[in-house]
Amino acid sequence: MRIPDGFRSCALVAALLAAACDAPAGGPRPLTVGVSFEILQTEFWVAALEAFKEELGRRGLRMIQAIAEGDANRQIEQVQNFITRKVDGIILVPKDARACLPILRSANEAGIPIVLFNRPPAESDARSVAVVADNFALAKETVAFLVAEARRTGTRRKAMIVIGDLGDINAVGRRDGFEAAVREAPDAVEVVARVPSEWNQEKAQAGVVNAFQAHPDIGLIFTSSDFLLPSIVSALKSAGKYRRAGEPGHVLLGGFDGDATAYGMLSEGYLDATGVQDVDFEVRACVQAILDWREGKEPPATILDPGFVIHRGNLEEKAPRMWGARVRKP
Amino acid sequence: MTGDATGAAGPPGAGWKRLLRPDLFVLGLCAAYAALVGPFTPGFFTVRNAENLLVHALPLFVLASGQTVVMITGGIDLSMTSVLALSSIAGAWVMTPSGPLGGGPAAVPAALALMLLAGASVGILNGLAVARLRMPPFIATLTAMTFFSGLAVWLTQSRGIGPLPAGFNALGRLPGAVGIAAAAGAGAHLLLSRTILGRWLYAAGHNPRAALVSGVPVALAVALAYLFSGTLAGLASVLYTAQGGTGSPVLGQRLLLDVVAATVLGGTSLFGGRGRIPWTFLGVLFFKLIDNTLNLLDLSHFTIMMVKGGLILTAALLDTLRNRILESS
Amino acid sequence: MSLLRVEAVSKSFGGVPVLRGISFSLDAGRTLGLVGENGAGKSTLMNILAGAVRPDAGQLEWRGRPYAPRRPADAMRAGIAYIHQELNLFPNLTIAENLFLTAFPRRWGLPLIDRRGLHRRAAALLEEAGLDLPPDLPVERLSAGERQLVEIARALGAGAALIILDEPTTSLGTREVERLFDRLARIRSQGVALIYISHALEDVLRLGDDLLVLRDGEVAGGGPRSAFTVERLVSLMVGRSLDRRFPPRAGRPGGETLLEARGLTRRGVLRDVGFRLRRGEILGVFGLMGAGRSELARILFGLDPCERGEILLEGRPLGGGGPRPRIRGGLAFVPEDRRREGLCLDASIADNLALVSLRRYARRGTGWLDPARWAPAVRAIRDAVRLTPAARDDQPVRTLSGGNQQKVVLGKWLLAGPRVFILDEPTRGIDVGAKAEIYRLIRSLADGGAGILFISSELEELIGLCDRILVMSHGEIRAEAEAGGFDREALLRAALRDPAAPPGGGDRP
Repeated sequence: MRIPDGFRSCALVAALLAAACDAPAGGPRPLTVGVSFEILQTEFWVAALEAFKEELGRRGLRMIQAIAEGDANRQIEQVQNFITRKVDGIILVPKDARACLPILRSANEAGIPIVLFNRPPAESDARSVAVVADNFALAKETVAFLVAEARRTGTRRKAMIVIGDLGDINAVGRRDGFEAAVREAPDAVEVVARVPSEWNQEKAQAGVVNAFQAHPDIGLIFTSSDFLLPSIVSALKSAGKYRRAGEPGHVLLGGFDGDATAYGMLSEGYLDATGVQDVDFEVRACVQAILDWREGKEPPATILDPGFVIHRGNLEEKAPRMWGARVRKP
Repeated sequence: MTGDATGAAGPPGAGWKRLLRPDLFVLGLCAAYAALVGPFTPGFFTVRNAENLLVHALPLFVLASGQTVVMITGGIDLSMTSVLALSSIAGAWVMTPSGPLGGGPAAVPAALALMLLAGASVGILNGLAVARLRMPPFIATLTAMTFFSGLAVWLTQSRGIGPLPAGFNALGRLPGAVGIAAAAGAGAHLLLSRTILGRWLYAAGHNPRAALVSGVPVALAVALAYLFSGTLAGLASVLYTAQGGTGSPVLGQRLLLDVVAATVLGGTSLFGGRGRIPWTFLGVLFFKLIDNTLNLLDLSHFTIMMVKGGLILTAALLDTLRNRILESS
Repeated sequence: MSLLRVEAVSKSFGGVPVLRGISFSLDAGRTLGLVGENGAGKSTLMNILAGAVRPDAGQLEWRGRPYAPRRPADAMRAGIAYIHQELNLFPNLTIAENLFLTAFPRRWGLPLIDRRGLHRRAAALLEEAGLDLPPDLPVERLSAGERQLVEIARALGAGAALIILDEPTTSLGTREVERLFDRLARIRSQGVALIYISHALEDVLRLGDDLLVLRDGEVAGGGPRSAFTVERLVSLMVGRSLDRRFPPRAGRPGGETLLEARGLTRRGVLRDVGFRLRRGEILGVFGLMGAGRSELARILFGLDPCERGEILLEGRPLGGGGPRPRIRGGLAFVPEDRRREGLCLDASIADNLALVSLRRYARRGTGWLDPARWAPAVRAIRDAVRLTPAARDDQPVRTLSGGNQQKVVLGKWLLAGPRVFILDEPTRGIDVGAKAEIYRLIRSLADGGAGILFISSELEELIGLCDRILVMSHGEIRAEAEAGGFDREALLRAALRDPAAPPGGGDRP
C-alpha cells in the first residue's frame, strides 16, 4: 500500500524532533541560563553568542537560546517561555530599550536574575544589570589616538564623523566621545562634516561621498561602527583617497567595535585604530553578574566595559582579545 | 446548519468521515501534536505556559479573523502589518505623557479610537482600490503596506514612542485581552454567519458574476470586507502595543506570513467562498502551539525554523489528503 | 467483425448501481446515436470506453481483441477519442500547439519543438478538416463551432478510429451545426466510427445509423434508425409516453403591460428594439447566435449599458443602477450560462436559493438574518420546482445534474416573488424530463399573472410554449407572430435574413 505523502512527512518531522530533543536528565539539575538575542544580523552578535556558549559551558551552566528576529513582541514571548521553564538566569539583548521593560518586570516577579548584554534598558523601576561598553570613554580614547597621529604629521586636519542611529544610546555615546576628544585638540583637528548614517550602509556611503565633494581635503574620519567600514572604503576609493598609512594622502581612519574587516584593514595599514568592545569581558561579566545575583550579592545596575584601543602598534599583542580577529574570514 | 457556506468538496459523510471536517480536523491535529510533543517539552503542561500561549495567540487571532473575512471574498489583505505599525504609533503618540492628551483621563479612550480609526482608514483605501479601481487585492494591499509602513517609520524617524499608561498596557494581559479578542472574533463570526452582508461576502467569493446577477452589491460588499479587516488590524495593534508597552513603527513586521498561514491552516480557502471564524481560531491555536513548543524545547534557532516549516508543510499535506478522502466519498 | 463490442458491462459507485448489463456493438464507419436522460448512465459508459473509469463487470472488445484500458492514455493510444461537452482545448495556446500537445514534433530527436514541422503538420490537419484557419491563431479567438472542429481534427490527427461526441451542438449556431454534420459525414466515409450523444433528438435521428436508448442504467431500446421516431425515443427515455411535451395554453393573455422597451439601441449590438410584454404572456424571442437576444436581455436587466432608448417596468422608467433596482421592481433574470452567471457552484443549494431574497429572512429592516426563517422557504420552493428530493439542502450545487441546477436558478428567483421573468435559454443542456417540468413551471407562472420573456434557439419549444414570438436578427426585430399563426419556415427565414435584403411578407404589424 502506498504510504500517503502526509504520513511520510509526519514521520520525518517526528524523527527530527525526537533527535533534537534533550531527554530530561535525572540527578542534580545543572543551572540553566536563557539567552535571548534580538538578532544575529552582524558578526558581532554571532561572535557574542559563541562566546556565551563557551563561557556558560566552561562554568558548567546549560544554555538555551532564543532569537527574536527583530520583533520586540516576539522577544517578550520567548522570554516568557524561559520563565515558564524556570530558568535560573536570563541574558537579554533587547530590541528596544523601552520595550524590554515588561520583560524585566516579569523576570523580577519570577525572581529570576536578568542581565542585559551590550544595550542598556530605559529608565524604570525594574531591577536589572546591564553590561555595556563605555562608549563615551572608548570612543574618546580612540579619537584621541587619531588626533595624536594627526599632530605627528604636523598639519591641521579636517575631520568627519559617521554617526550611528541616534535612537541607539550606544551611538550617542560614541558621538559624544568623538566630540569630547576633538574639543581638546582644536589645534590639530577641525570638524567639517557629521554624517548621520542611521546604521545604514547606503546612507553612510552617500554621506561620505558628499562630504568629500564639499571638502576634498578631509584628513581624518571616525566611524561609529566598523560595520560601516566597507561603505566608507567604497567612498574613499571613488574619491581616490584610499591610501595606506605612510603613503602620501593617507586619510586617518578610526572605527569602533573591532570586527573582522577592521582587523584586516589594520593589518594592511588602511585603518589606523579602532575601539574594541571587549566581548570576552562583557560576556564574563554578564555570567558573573547572574551568579552573584543568585547568591544574594548585589551587582551594580551598570557594569562598564572599558574596552581597549587597538592600532598597528599593539596589533600583535592585543589581537587575541579582539573578537574580530577570531572571526577571521577565510 | 442550513445556509452554512462552507463549500465542502462533497457532502460530509457519515461516521468517521465527519472527523475530517476542517475544524474537527485541526482540533484533532492540535490534540495529537500536544499529546505527542507535550511530554517531551519541559514546562508545557503548566498553567503559566497555557496563559503565555493564550495571551500571545489572541492578537494573532484578531488579525486572522479580519484576514478570514477578506479571504472569503477571494481576496487577501497584505497590509495588516503596516496597520499594526501605524496604529501603534498613532495611539502611542496620543497617550504618551509627552503627547497631546498625555496623562489626562481621555488619553486612553482617545488613543483607542484613533488606533481603530487608523486601521479603518487603511481598510477603506484598500476597499476602494479593490472594489472601485478593480486592482487585484494582492497588488492593492501590498502597495498599501509598503506605503504605510514607510509612513510609520518616517513619522517617527524609526524611534519608538513611550512609555504608555498602565491602564492601556493592562489591555494586553489576560482578562482584558480575552475580552477584546472575543469581541473581535464574535463580531466577525456573527457578521459572516448571521448577516446579509455575510451572505453577500460568501457569494462574491464563490462567483462574483452570479452574485451580481442575483442582486448582490459586490463592489460594496468587498469594500466593506477590507474596511472590516483594517479595523480589526487596528484592534490587534491595541493588543500588541499594550503587550510591548511602546508604540513601535516596526510592530509586527514579520507577522504577515503567520497570519496567512494560520488562517489557511484553519481551513479558509485562498480562492474564496470558504471559511469560518471557529476554524480560524483553531488554525491560530495550532500555529501558536507549534511556536510555543519549539521555543520551550532546547532547539537551536535554525532547527526551530526548519521544524516549524516542516510542521506547517505536514499540516498542509494532511489537509490535501483530507480533501482527497472527502472528494472520493 | 465489429470495431467495438460491449458485453454485459456494469458499474456501481459507492454501492449505487449506475450501469447494469449494457451490451451493444459498433462497426467501423457507422454512427451510433446515444440518448437518455441525465443520470441514465451515458457519461459513465463513455468514460469506461475512454479509460477513465473501470467497469465492475463485463467485457470490452476493440478491433477483435479484449480491451481493458487502465488510463485515458491507453484509450487514446488504442484509437478512441472522447470529445467532451466542455471542450478540452487550452484557450491561451495556439491551434497548432493544441493539436499536438502530447506529440510535439521534435528537433533531431531532442526535447526541442520543431516549430516549422509543427506548423506544417498542423496546417495539413486543418486543411483536411476543412478549416480555413491559421495554425498559430490562439484558440481563444475561435468560435465554439470552430473549436469543436479543432477538437475533431486533433482526434483524427492522433489516429482515432472511434470518436465519441458528447453534446457537441449545445453552443453552436445553426450554420455551425451544419458545418459540423458535414464534417462528420466526411469522417464516416473515411471509416471512422462515431458515438453521438445529444438531447437534440432530431439531430440524433438524422445522424445515427443505429440508436441506443439508456434509462436508469439499462438499455431501454436500440436498433437501426428506421425503427425510431422522436416520440418513440422520448417514451423509451422517460419510460412513459409524454403525450404532450408542452402544457396547454390558458387562453389569450391581455391586460396591463408589465415590461416595455422602446427604441433600444447600442451600436453594433441592437438597433431600435422595442416590444411590449403583457400580464400572463409568454413572449418568445427567437434568433440565431449573434442575433442580439442575450445582449437584449442583459441590457434589459441593467448588466450592460444602452446608448438610446427606454425601458419601462410596470410603467416606471428604469434608469441605470444595475440589477438591484430592477430586482426590487420585480424583474428576474435567468442567464444563458448558468454555471458562470446563474449559480455559485460550490455553495449549497440552500444558499443559492436564498441569495436574491435575503432581505425577507432578515429581522425587520436590519441586516440580521434568522436562519430559521430560511428553511421553510427553501423546503417550499424545492417542492415547487420539483428539485430532486435526494439532494440535501447543504449539498453543493455542483453535484446536481444540469436540470436540477436550472431548477435551483429558477427557484432562487421564484423566492423573490418577481412579476416579470427574462429567461435566456433556460432549457439548454437539460434532459427531456426536466425540460417538461420547466415548461410546466413557466406556464403556471404565466397563468398566475407573470410576464415571461423566453429567449431560445429551439424553435420547437418556442412554438410549443409561447403566446407570441419575436424573431431577431442582426440586432433588430425582424418578425412577430402569434400563437395559432406560427409558421416554422417563415420564422426561420426571418431569423436568417440578411440586413441588406428587402423585407419579405409576414413581418411586424
